[in-house]
Amino acid sequence: MTENGEHHSALPYFIVWVALVILTVTTYRTGRMHLGTWALPLALTIAVTKSLLVILFFMHLWEQKGANRIVIGTSFVFVALIISLTVADVATRFPLATPAGAPFGSDIPAQLEEPAPEYQPPAGKIGEPPRGVPEPK
Amino acid sequence: MSEAAALPPGEHLVHGTDPHLAHHFSSLERQVDASRLGMWLFLSTEVLLFAGLFTGYAVYRYSFPVAFAASARTSEIWAGTLNTIVLITSSLTVALAIHFVRAGRQRAAVVCLAITLFFALAFLGIKAIEYTAHFHEHQLPGRYYRFEGVRLPGAEMYWALYFLMTGLHGLHVVIGMTVLAVIAWRTAHGYYSAHYYVGIELAGLYWHLVDLIWIFLYPLLYLI
Amino acid sequence: MRQSEEDREKLGAPPAHESYLTDGTTVMSWLNTRDHKRVGVMFLVAVVFFLFLGGVFALAIRMKLLYPGPFLFDALTYNRLFTLHGVTMIFLFMIPAIPSAFGNFVLPLMIGARDVAFPRLNLASFYVYLAGAVLAVWAMVHGGADTGWTFYTPYSTTTPTMLFPLLLGVFIIGFSSIMTGINFIVTVHTLRAPGIGWMRVPLFVWGIYATSVIQVLATPVLGLTVLLVALERVLGFGIFDPARGGDPVLFQHFFWFYSHPAVYIMVLPAMGVISECVATFSRKNPFGYKAIAFSSLGIAFVGFFTWGHHLFVAGQSVFDNGVFGVLSMFVGIFTAVKVFNWVGTMYRGAISFKTPFAYICGFLFLLVFGGMTGVALATVALDVHWHDTYFVVAHFHFIMVGAVIMGFLAALHYWFPKMFGRTYHEGWGLVAASLIILGFNATFIPQFLLGNNGMPRRYYQYPEHFQALNVASTAGATLLGFGFIIIFIYLVIALRWGPRCEQNPWRSKGFEWLTPSPPPTHNFDKIPHITQDPHDYRTHAPSGVYTDV
Repeated sequence: MTENGEHHSALPYFIVWVALVILTVTTYRTGRMHLGTWALPLALTIAVTKSLLVILFFMHLWEQKGANRIVIGTSFVFVALIISLTVADVATRFPLATPAGAPFGSDIPAQLEEPAPEYQPPAGKIGEPPRGVPEPK
Repeated sequence: MSEAAALPPGEHLVHGTDPHLAHHFSSLERQVDASRLGMWLFLSTEVLLFAGLFTGYAVYRYSFPVAFAASARTSEIWAGTLNTIVLITSSLTVALAIHFVRAGRQRAAVVCLAITLFFALAFLGIKAIEYTAHFHEHQLPGRYYRFEGVRLPGAEMYWALYFLMTGLHGLHVVIGMTVLAVIAWRTAHGYYSAHYYVGIELAGLYWHLVDLIWIFLYPLLYLI
Repeated sequence: MRQSEEDREKLGAPPAHESYLTDGTTVMSWLNTRDHKRVGVMFLVAVVFFLFLGGVFALAIRMKLLYPGPFLFDALTYNRLFTLHGVTMIFLFMIPAIPSAFGNFVLPLMIGARDVAFPRLNLASFYVYLAGAVLAVWAMVHGGADTGWTFYTPYSTTTPTMLFPLLLGVFIIGFSSIMTGINFIVTVHTLRAPGIGWMRVPLFVWGIYATSVIQVLATPVLGLTVLLVALERVLGFGIFDPARGGDPVLFQHFFWFYSHPAVYIMVLPAMGVISECVATFSRKNPFGYKAIAFSSLGIAFVGFFTWGHHLFVAGQSVFDNGVFGVLSMFVGIFTAVKVFNWVGTMYRGAISFKTPFAYICGFLFLLVFGGMTGVALATVALDVHWHDTYFVVAHFHFIMVGAVIMGFLAALHYWFPKMFGRTYHEGWGLVAASLIILGFNATFIPQFLLGNNGMPRRYYQYPEHFQALNVASTAGATLLGFGFIIIFIYLVIALRWGPRCEQNPWRSKGFEWLTPSPPPTHNFDKIPHITQDPHDYRTHAPSGVYTDV
């Protein structure tokens, strides 16, 4: 209501729409290409670009007051916060404490190829520090 | 969504005779700013709501990368892609509706809102087809999972997250559609004008958020 | 009476007997009000009711704990009681109490506004709160919830007790919290009177603003979390079920991402109240206005980075333990900044030892001990010993009761004349305050000792050698209960028969005291133009604040 900017033409909206469609096609094509580790960062980059286009131009955040930008920006920061620290937990846990002993399907096979080696107690007499075992610091 | 409150008895307007101005705001501009800020705050709550689901997705995707990739490949990618285009276009039409109202072209605005509603229905229709397909293939969450094509641990998690995320998103589509329908009716009956169009603007913001969430859901659930 | 009559003339206010209380006396005029003051009073009545309800549950728990073996009721009932106590106190009392009751009443007055930004949303937030609260209490009473207020999986997803309506009730109350938060943020941004820039906003408003930011950002995650538990119970989605590949600890991440900032939702408004009262009852400018204001925002922000300290022994990775342990230390810095500022404000001030000041003293003492034990608990190595013992229980009650409820009571006594135009009996006020502070310490200091000696929390039975301390704790709880009952009695008496007071009985420089007590419905006939800082007690400060707008 307060912006008396360039609203004589609807062209900017169509341009943004075209850009969004192009980005959608891009993410579809790259998604089918099975890029391995780069698939996720690429997909997220494209998604973030698309969302910036929607937020800044369709939702007019480009023209609006700072408070609105801080609000939505802060919420995205906190999304990053909850995801990063929670994934960091699962990623750095002692493996048997992860869900269902995950990660499955990675280089850890679901079944061992060979049977586990038999347990050998460390050499030495009871009461003495065992040989072949690192000294506690 | 923020037209003037009926004045309590014995109250008098501070100044101005604008019927949209509420008694506790010093100017209509202030009031509109307040409405916008309120809406952006509400949108940020919606973002945080989905954040939890994205966190769950991140955690389980990290834990079960093969199952997630395999399950994603068995999803209806055509439906997801088409739905993305549908939602993006509906965002365009709702932005155009606001544009037309600001230009004083009420009828064009109503047409745009009607098209938006049509696209929203199309989205839900495609989703319904998808869900039916998943039900037939027994690609269901948690303990109902029976799909023979992917028999890895973690596939159940993928489908649980799939249905949770798209389900919650679909609920927001329905809410958005309801809001847009009400707004379309009000626009058609002259409630908004170039001078005062806050209702459409706020409804549009909500609809754009629905689109935004899908922009992130699509690659994560369907493609990678 | 002279000063208030002069002020009234300046404001062009109506005569003393007309106010928001008399403007419409039907039930519908209250139930359908748009007036933030009436909404605040309705919230106040509701939260006080739930405070007493939660207190009844607490006393039931403490009665049982007089004896180490089975006594009064069985273990399942005991589990339900501590769940009832936790849910009632936290969701039905602590989260809404100061913001929705006092914030609603006082915040618009403090910034020279006629109402909050969205008055109908305000009324809606009250009804949503009530709906959720009624549903939650109904659920808990009708055979629900023995999980504790923390609903940890996998027990909460598999317990045979009825959880779904309780989860729904909590979900609904969350919406009320979000509505209030949005309303206050927009109000502070857009409805400040001319002359009230951001650095002239009263410190209570800063506290409420920071609280609202947390409410808006954190509560949705709680909503999602209870939704996920409900869906897992009803539909078996298995997000937290290890048999499906799920992770029960993920629930704890989600739950505490809200619930840790939630404790700052509870404490920040209390700190705001204390900031106001310290300045008023020391008749001295705040030692560091900006420090207190920015530390409120600091607590709100940093509070989001610390949730993992509730998961130290839950199976969280060592890496995350370290990260959260360090980050948790930072929150203490901001609280310390505030404590030093309050003490610095009181130093060489002209102390007026009224009832609110008694609560300030209790607050400061107990906040410091509660906060320090919090920092101690945030040390991972120590938490391994103390986790899930009464040490933790004592710590959070020091903050929740010792700080937050003291703040609530200070607010109640400080703004009682403003809200109802009457004063209460000061002598009984001090008696009750003493009882509460003494009773509180007698209740919870033994619990520190119990916890350190190894008594686990939420246990129905305990070893014999813990009995003496448990009996001491229950005795203290009874004293505490008496204190509350006394407060209730003299305040209700004051409501009906208390002497009418002047506009500003505390001679406070707070902006809310510029309106009559109680205020008229529309707060100000002319929106004031403020030319002085809040809490400005310098004798040479300009006294006139009004010009025609």
